[in-house]
Amino acid sequence: MKWFEKLTRIDRRVIYVLLTAFVILPFFIPFKIPENVMPQTRRLFDFIESIPARDKAVIISFDYSPSTQPECHPMAIALLRHCFKKRIPVIGISYEPQGPGLAVDALTLVSREMNIDAASRSDSVIYGQDYVYLGWKSGRVAAMLEMGESIARVYPVDYFQNPIDSLPLMRKVRNYKEIAIAIIVAAATYPDEWVMYPQARYGVKVAAGLTAVMAPEYYPFLQTGQFSGMLSGMKGAAEYEKLILEHGYTDKPGRAETGMNSQSIIHLLIIIFIVIGNVGYFFTRRNKGLQ
Amino acid sequence: MSPNPWIWIAAFLTLGIFSFLFKDNPVYRFSEHLFVGVANGYYIALYWHNTLRPNLVEPLAQGQFIYFVPLLLGLMYFAKFIPKISWLVRIPIGFVIGWGAGISIPANFQARILRQIEGTVVTPSSFANPWQGIWAAVIFIGVVATVIYFYFSREHKGILKPVSRLGIIFIMIGFGASFGYTIMARVSLLIGRFQFLLGPWLGLIK
Repeated sequence: MKWFEKLTRIDRRVIYVLLTAFVILPFFIPFKIPENVMPQTRRLFDFIESIPARDKAVIISFDYSPSTQPECHPMAIALLRHCFKKRIPVIGISYEPQGPGLAVDALTLVSREMNIDAASRSDSVIYGQDYVYLGWKSGRVAAMLEMGESIARVYPVDYFQNPIDSLPLMRKVRNYKEIAIAIIVAAATYPDEWVMYPQARYGVKVAAGLTAVMAPEYYPFLQTGQFSGMLSGMKGAAEYEKLILEHGYTDKPGRAETGMNSQSIIHLLIIIFIVIGNVGYFFTRRNKGLQ
Repeated sequence: MSPNPWIWIAAFLTLGIFSFLFKDNPVYRFSEHLFVGVANGYYIALYWHNTLRPNLVEPLAQGQFIYFVPLLLGLMYFAKFIPKISWLVRIPIGFVIGWGAGISIPANFQARILRQIEGTVVTPSSFANPWQGIWAAVIFIGVVATVIYFYFSREHKGILKPVSRLGIIFIMIGFGASFGYTIMARVSLLIGRFQFLLGPWLGLIK
């Protein structure tokens, strides 16, 4: 077998072993690859920066499942750190059935982190005052539209079965008029419906945190201004983590930022494999032509 | 290493799924079937507790008999399994399609067609920032060329030929970007799994 034929017949298990090794390597040999922040990430960051403290609330819709947790969970955590540190009230909801578990995990993690560092009650993040989680709702289009009139009619109780009127935050936030932006952290086409229904009818600002697979098809929404920002995949999460770190909203590096080192090396490895595969292919074709 | 048995179970199932990369085996089959079974059970429980019971069973129990209408429509779906009355399934399907078309067609037109056309049109204000103007022109040319490529009512001769060729280039660039993003997504999930195995399970990384 000629050398170029061997290149086209590399056992796939060799590729799997190399991929595994190069994913694990950066965890033990830490190094820093500079992160370039994309305009759409900065747009979202700047929008949240412009929201005054304790004024309008931010809706974060936790619409992802454990299968996309590595990409979407760091986004949700970074957004929560930013909002809580800026004292922007957060209302959490989910339309993805597997979202609630991850939503509660993110909210608990970040609120606990903030409260450990809190010097007094006024520094603390308190459930019911600074954030609420309303839970999962079926019939999402109907729910999204009804929230434009009254959030309490859609969610008479929150995820923890507290009556909605017993929560101080929900006595101030009645409908979309008191919402600065809705950020949809999603692994499916939920952001489309936010743009088509609440934004079209009530003028709600919408932004999205999406898996990398979905990101390309949502660039048109950025370009038209229908999205006020977008986080794309683990890179988007890493960029947002970098921004909140640089601006002093956290002193902890995020998971996505450490994962991006592995991401960069794997991409280089895949480029090398593609080059090897193409070299093997073109030489094989040339050899057949000569024969 | 974690003392939590659930972490150990998750790690075992993760490695069980990964074992398929070597070859198909009973551990992989068990992990896969367990996942499908648990997912189905979770969804059934969730829809019962969060949708059927509060929105149908409880209102009916309280005497709101109008809810017999959606109950009947839902039950008609199961007529599909009885050949003699399988035609009844067309009624709820027609209702859902009618509602779906009514609510989604105007919204899609507004958000995904008209606003996108508006965003594509190049005006003098697009050139307020020179670079923005150049990209606006590129997007406009790309959209027109791509749409012309998909115009099959005439043979691509004359002016249509080079424009559709340009459209192919834009399409291929788009596919390339999609491919790159897809690789990033899949690798992210792999990284997430290894972060779990090396962190919460083995305790080798923070």
